[in-house]
Order: sequence, then C-alpha cells, then structure tokens
Amino acid sequence: MPRPALPQLYPLLRTLTLALVCLLAACNRAGDPVYRDQFFAFGTLIDLSLHGVDTPRAEQASRALEQAFTQMHSDWHAWQPGALQQANAGLAAHGQASVDPAMAALIQEANRLSTLSNGLFNPVIGRLVALWGFHNDEPPQGPPPAADRIRQLVEQAPASTDVRVDDGQIRSRNPAVRYDLGAFAKGHAIDRGIEQLEELGIQNAIINAGGDLRAIGRHGNRPWRIGIRDPRKPGVLASIELAGDESVFTSGDYERFYEHEGRRYHHIIDPRSGYPAGATVSATVIHPVAATADAAATALFVAGPDAWPAIARQMGVKYVMLVDREGRIHLNPAMQARLKFESEPEAIVMSEAL
Amino acid sequence: MQIQTTAEDQRIAWLAALAITIHILESAFPSPLPGIKPGLANVITIVVLVQFGWRSAAWVSLLRVLCGSLLLGTFLTPTFLLSLGGAVCSIAILWLACRLPGRGFGPVGFSLLAALAHMTGQFTIAWLLFIPHPALWRLFPVLLTAALLFGTVGGIIAGGISTRQRQCST
Amino acid sequence: MTRADRVLMAIVLCTLPLLYLHFWTDQEPATVLRMQVADMDPTVTPLTPDRHVQLAGPIGESIIEIRAGQARFLDSPCPGKVCVHSGWLREAGQLAACLPNRISIQLLGNRPRFDAINF
Repeated sequence: MPRPALPQLYPLLRTLTLALVCLLAACNRAGDPVYRDQFFAFGTLIDLSLHGVDTPRAEQASRALEQAFTQMHSDWHAWQPGALQQANAGLAAHGQASVDPAMAALIQEANRLSTLSNGLFNPVIGRLVALWGFHNDEPPQGPPPAADRIRQLVEQAPASTDVRVDDGQIRSRNPAVRYDLGAFAKGHAIDRGIEQLEELGIQNAIINAGGDLRAIGRHGNRPWRIGIRDPRKPGVLASIELAGDESVFTSGDYERFYEHEGRRYHHIIDPRSGYPAGATVSATVIHPVAATADAAATALFVAGPDAWPAIARQMGVKYVMLVDREGRIHLNPAMQARLKFESEPEAIVMSEAL
Repeated sequence: MQIQTTAEDQRIAWLAALAITIHILESAFPSPLPGIKPGLANVITIVVLVQFGWRSAAWVSLLRVLCGSLLLGTFLTPTFLLSLGGAVCSIAILWLACRLPGRGFGPVGFSLLAALAHMTGQFTIAWLLFIPHPALWRLFPVLLTAALLFGTVGGIIAGGISTRQRQCST
Repeated sequence: MTRADRVLMAIVLCTLPLLYLHFWTDQEPATVLRMQVADMDPTVTPLTPDRHVQLAGPIGESIIEIRAGQARFLDSPCPGKVCVHSGWLREAGQLAACLPNRISIQLLGNRPRFDAINF
C-alpha cells in the first residue's frame, strides 16, 4: 500500500488549530465594556454611556460635553442671568430683543413645536411658571398662588404665535410673553450633545440627562436597552430596545412638585387653565429628535388621556405611553408592540394607530 | 419462513450484545457528574471499527443505544435522546476520521475522537433541548476533559483487545 | 499510537485549556459598586470614572476610592481601620465593610439589565 507523505497533514492541522484559537479569542470579547461618566449640568445629573470608544477619547468627549452643557444651561436659563434672560428682559421692556443665531434657532424651533401642539406646549408662559414658584432651584413650599392672579395671567394668553423671529431680532406683540424653555431646552441640549459626539467620531452613545435621554448606535452586538420607571412606585414599569437613533422622554408629575394641604402641585402647567395639568401622571414619548420628544412629552401630558392622540399625530410622534390618574396605561399600537412590561398591567387603553 | 443471516449479521449481533451488556453494567454505576460515564461500551465500538470497518461499528453503536435504552427502560426519554445524539455524532466523526489519508488514526485516535464527539453531541442536545442555561457551558470543558481521559484509556484498551491494527474500511 | 493519534492528542491538549479559559473566566469584569449605609436603600454606582465617594455613616464620613474598575475604603472614622486594611476589591462579588460606621461596599459584576433608565 502506498504511503502518502504525512507532512501534508501538518499544514492542515496547523491551520485548523490556528482557526480554532482565533475563534475562541474572538468569543472572549463578548464583554465589551461601556464607558460611563456622570457630571452635573442643567440642574441635574447627566449620565453618559459610550460604547466602542477607548478611554482617553471617551474622557475627552465627556469633558467636552460637560463644558458644552454648562454653557447651554447658562445661556438658556429660565430665570438666572443669561442670553435667554436678556431676551426676556428686552421683550418685556421694549417688545423686542436681539438674539444670536443659536438663540434664534432655539426660539424658532420652540415656536414651531408649540404651534404643532396647539399651544399645549407653551414656551412663553414663564410668568405663570414663576407664579407657581418653580423658578427656583429649591422646590417651592406652597401655598399655591391666588386664583385671581392665575386667572389674570391666563387671560393675558401669551402664545408663541405672538412672537416673530427674523434677522437676529425677536419681536413680541404681547407683553406677557416670557420664554421659559424648561420643557424643551434639555432636549435641545441633548441634540447638540449628540451632534458633538458624532463630530468626535463616536457612534454608539447614550446621553441621559436626569432620566430623559437620546441614544445613537448600539451596545455592541445588541441594541441599547432602556427601562422606563414606574411613575408611582420604585422599579421599572416597562423596557424597550432602541433602534438606531432615538430619544426617550417622560414628563411626570413627580419630577418637580410640592404638596400643600394634601394636594400635589407639579410644574407642568396647563396654559389654558393656569393650573398644573390634572389628568395625567406621566407621559412618555419616543422620537428621534430629543427636542421634539421633550416638547411632545410636555404637550401630551397637558393634553391628557383623551386628547393626546390628535396632538401626537400633529407633532409627528409615533410612540406614546401615558399613565392617567387611575393608573391606566394608554398606548398606541406601535408603542405596545415595542414595550415589554415588567408585569402585566392592570388596565391598558389602546388608541388608534398614530 | 426463515430469515437468512450472513456471517456479518451474526458478528454484529454478538458484538452489539456485548456492547449492550457493558452499557447496562455501566449504568449501574453512579456518575459523579451528569453525562460523565467511562464509556466502556465505546471500547467495543472502536474494536469493531478497527477490525470490521465503519459500517459494522455504526451498527453496533446504534444498536447499543437502542437496545440498551429498551432494556433499561429509558427508550424515548431525555436520556435516550442524549445517548442517541452522542452516538450519532461519534459515528459521524469516525466516518470522517476513516477518510484520513496515509496510515491514519489508530485505536487511541479513533477512541479519542469518538469520545469527544459523543460528549459534544450530548452536551449540545442537553443545551438545546433541556437546559438552555448559559451557566451550563461552564460544565463543557469538564465534560470534554473526562471524554479526553476515558477516550484515551478506552482507546488503549481497544488497541490491546483488537487482534489487528488496520485502518478501517467502510 | 500512530502519528495522527499523537497530533490529535496534541491539538486536544492545547485546545482544552483554552476552553477552560473561555468558559470559566467569562465572568463579566465588575461593572458597578453597591454601597450601603446602615438601613438605607443601597445605591449602585458605576465603576467609571475614577473618583472618591464620601459616605456619611453614624460615626462619621468614610471615603471610598474607585480606581481602574476596583474599589476600596480609603479612609474611615473607625478606630481599627479594618475596612481600610482589607484593601482593594477587585472581582465581582467581593465585599468590604466598616462595621462601626455601618457601611458596606461590594463589587457587582452582573451586566445591568438596562443601559439607562428613563423617568
């Protein structure tokens, strides 16, 4: 029997071994860590998650974001000295003010979203918000403001449609207009932050500013997983896997509030009544653009369990969850398909498709 | 009517019987970990492979699993599926191993391959069908180590038993 | 044993340790630090960035140092400083405690279920 040379076996075996070793080595990278950092800005804790970025670059990005956020917070502050305050002062005194391009863009966008929300997101009710005591870092103590004072401000009816922006100038025909971008500025800042990260070449990140977040990319080989907190008890109500570039924003009556004589007064004022919107406990919105999600969460909170679908449609929002006073969960079908509830909710109200 | 049996049929039959007997005896021993058996019956399979070829070995192996399970009362139970899965994998590997050019593997090599394939097959079935728990994978290297040990020892024994050392023919 | 047998044996002997390495050290490196003061709810905090954390307990302030994915008691107001001497926590599951000050810290390695919480 002929004996073929055995050495032709060895290259094959060597290759196989090498392949096997490489395979095992590759499998070992399953635990790619996520870089996490936190810093304070916008009156809250900003939590940054970066994936697939080496630590020096991640630290650099984090410092850059911190600076940017601090600057934006100061510029857009609703009641402390800054660019927005100056603009408000000009509007109050002369009915007009000059603004730099960044501020102009911010105000225009806020106005646009306000219109789309039929004014339920109202960025110019700064006086009303201040009246309720929410223009302070500390939560107010109460008691709530006098009813006729509230009525007075409501009747003045400042609306974003009172304001015109052109050529570096904003003009208002209603002296009651005072910009408070609390329901919008954080989202806008997060959008700028994400842009900055993308400019630095980072493609997988979450910027979470005090619970409201925008994510891009993925966590390695799986999507980012977000838990949505239950508005009334500790723990997570539902979770969702994000697809690509998405923001998750929730407006809740538990964020800034005070209690007086057994009643809770929170900071999401219904511009129509002048009182905190009463029918909703929390409103969660998922949308690519954080600024839109921010404004929409507020608008839908104010709209309440009955009116939210129409407003959501107008604002172009596709995924909404709202929890009402009775604890019922309102959703649209697309949102229900994506959410995974931790435990079977007691009552779900499904809207029609958005 | 009388069924005509060939000499090969008879050979396979008594070899299978031997394997089954060993299998049953082995099942009386407690195993330290689930899935770890000395696999002494596999020695028979390897002896058959080396002396009579792959086909006979395949028959013996499958008959052992089938009849063993019927006699032990584990037919169509999870145990049976595990055994069957392991047996199928080891038979398949042996077929491949027979294809090696040149002098090829000896009984130790065959036995080692068969044992590793058997254990891997069992583990995969256990993981896919019964315990898809990620922690199960921690057991895998341990099981393979046992397969390495018992496979090598079994191969040495098989080499000692078989009267011929020749490459298997299909 | 034939040549092929020997080669096979060599391959198996080389591969097996790798499998142990892969399946046995797949513990996630510790990712978070769980800190508990007395009876309060524990807080869980990530192990990046490097920093000092001050925890106020009944007898004073303990300082926890977090560095390079590890944690330790840097200082504590207790007399014996056992907690400080216990050194660095390096692996998930390891725990150090200052009993007089009722503070415990533990490295946890579970992959957190969620990347972020929205509220």
